[in-house]
Amino acid sequence: MSRVVVTGIGVISAIGNNASENHNSLQKGGTGIGKAQFLNSKYAEELLFGEIKLSNEALLSRLKISVDSKLTRTELLAFVAFEEATKDAGLSKEELQDFETALLSATTVSGMVEMEAIYADANTNTEPSPFVSSYRSGAHTLQLAKAFGLRGYTDTINTACSSSANSIMQGARMLKAGKAKRAIVGGVDSLAKYTVNGFNSLQIFSDEITRPFDANRKGLNLGEGAAYLVLELEEDTVGKTIYGEVRGFGNSNDAYHPSSMSPEAVGVKGAINGALETADLQPFNISYVNAHGTGTENNDYTELHGMNQIFDVVPPFASTKSFTGHTLAAAGAIEAVYSLLNIHHQEMYPTLNWQTQMPEFEQKPLLDFVPNTEIKHVLSNSFGFGGNCSSLILSKV
Amino acid sequence: MMFIKDLTCISPQKTIQEEFFGTEPIIYTGSQLKAVEPSYAEIPRSQLRRMGKSNRMATGAAMPLLEKWKTDGIIIGTTDGGMEDCHRFLNQIVKFEEGTLTPTNFVQGSPSSPAGGLALMSKNSGYNNTHSNKGLSFENCLMDADLLFIEGRAKRLMVGCVEEISQAQYKIETLAGFIKQEEISTNKLIGCGTAGAVNGEGAAMFVVDFENDGAIAEIVDSEMISCPILNDLTLKVKLLLERNGLGVADIDALMLGYSGDSNSDYWYDDFAKQLFPQTGILSFKNLFGETPSASSFATWFAANLVNGKPVPPMAVQKSVSGELKTVLIYNHYQGNQHGFVLVRGV
Repeated sequence: MSRVVVTGIGVISAIGNNASENHNSLQKGGTGIGKAQFLNSKYAEELLFGEIKLSNEALLSRLKISVDSKLTRTELLAFVAFEEATKDAGLSKEELQDFETALLSATTVSGMVEMEAIYADANTNTEPSPFVSSYRSGAHTLQLAKAFGLRGYTDTINTACSSSANSIMQGARMLKAGKAKRAIVGGVDSLAKYTVNGFNSLQIFSDEITRPFDANRKGLNLGEGAAYLVLELEEDTVGKTIYGEVRGFGNSNDAYHPSSMSPEAVGVKGAINGALETADLQPFNISYVNAHGTGTENNDYTELHGMNQIFDVVPPFASTKSFTGHTLAAAGAIEAVYSLLNIHHQEMYPTLNWQTQMPEFEQKPLLDFVPNTEIKHVLSNSFGFGGNCSSLILSKV
Repeated sequence: MMFIKDLTCISPQKTIQEEFFGTEPIIYTGSQLKAVEPSYAEIPRSQLRRMGKSNRMATGAAMPLLEKWKTDGIIIGTTDGGMEDCHRFLNQIVKFEEGTLTPTNFVQGSPSSPAGGLALMSKNSGYNNTHSNKGLSFENCLMDADLLFIEGRAKRLMVGCVEEISQAQYKIETLAGFIKQEEISTNKLIGCGTAGAVNGEGAAMFVVDFENDGAIAEIVDSEMISCPILNDLTLKVKLLLERNGLGVADIDALMLGYSGDSNSDYWYDDFAKQLFPQTGILSFKNLFGETPSASSFATWFAANLVNGKPVPPMAVQKSVSGELKTVLIYNHYQGNQHGFVLVRGV
């Protein structure tokens, strides 16, 4: 069966406005987590966030395409990463508009980032705000389709924090089954008062910079971002740069609790084993793991426990959420792009801010940047509440 | 593509009690067609009280199927699932000025909540996904299921959609011009000549199988397009028919998403005229109302009709001659997202 390969990447996050800026920050080990400048929430003063260092106006000015409707921050981030990825892959206007080009995106907050507008439209307005059709999930995908003239299959997935791992998975599966010729896959979430208060109510925020896989971890920092990957079949990519192959994918539900993971790591193991199986690889083949690693008590224990049950020797692993914060529906796609950078540049990125060994385990995350190493297969984990666990394996071609 | 082994539906009609076919449908006046809910006797009362409406309807429709059939995964489509909870949480943020809030509404307000909840209740740790793509969510579920069957990773799946009317989203849709302003009785909805649709809600759930072994109906294939011109629609449908070895004459009836919206119903007129001038036409939104997952209700309806259930006279827009075996559902959401589902008797 033909291989599904990545020919274009686009990413915007707290550590950079494009793939090369993100790559630079990953190599240098500088976190993007800090005080938020643009987030409109009282927690902007109290907590730390992985905010993108651009205002909505600055984001809009970066777009090549002109859009006649007013875009939400979620849509702006999606447009920036989408433009970068499709340009990187050299997709022509005709290719974008081909019936055989699919777009599979993901979001959790969607247009609810415009909270004043949604509140007014839902309660007091007698005239619609400019965002009146942007709030619900699917709106940003439709905006992309409209703006870029896409005429193929579109999908928007919401499985909370594993959303864009699932959109990548779905796109790769469509190509393998001959349901599309190319797919633009990824996801987006912007920092929003809605999700900030949601995660605060779950009491899983750290008041300091997150320390994934640390015994004294206190929780996560919320981030924002978008990433898209252009997937094509290997035989259609003559002369193109190939970042890697989407080789394996697994999806499993933990079926334990609406917002926490089972101590047995049922979903984690199901997702990783599923990815290994579809990739036709053994655990020892994995060179590096981009962990979900949210820095919460529950996730980091369960994830490492699950990995210990699968791997005889747990491969080097790190959580790049210590750079970006937790970008929710964008996390799977951003971390897939980072995994492709691992492969493309043959290097490993560390976990920042780690200090203390977790007493339950022997392993600690990778703490330093490792250049010039052999990376063949990267496992990228994404777990969300609702029990949604997904893993991808990205491989060197 | 796949075979429907079993199906349930909670809708504004009495579809959950099996009294719907062969009896007079409920006629509504006004723009909110609320679901006729069952007693939910099988859900423990303590759990039921805590559930938002989408979770309740998804559970009520899907759990009897999940108890009866072993499935390899759960795929749900929803856009307005949990919307009432979502706005409750949003209102709390405003009211308490971002004070200490309880997470229940936040967690239940996620569209992924029904699929996760069903996995939890049925102890199903298999494949689990939620498509939240407005008017194409059900078509997305079908693609997802089809892929799992092609890959050999599943033999039987739970697939379906749930949508709820929330007063906040209703207000937002009203402001956007998508809800009918005047009160019209649903038996006069189609062709009424005014702007806007009437809102529906419910859950349509299907046990789908790779093999036709005592199936009720077949979902043959599906297609979609966003922001098309009429010619794109025609091209897509020709592709859909061609790859299934079918011609225009093989379609016994179109099931069209006429919503009574004078701003967007012309799509159905033009589509039928251009490609299917001789074909009978059925409607469903004058029974079930408009929802982002409307095509899931249409599929439930069509599957029953091709399985021999009597056609409710209210659904006949242009009479269907002969046997009803193959139905092409064409539905668009607010003029932007257009989807096709092909349903056939077995």
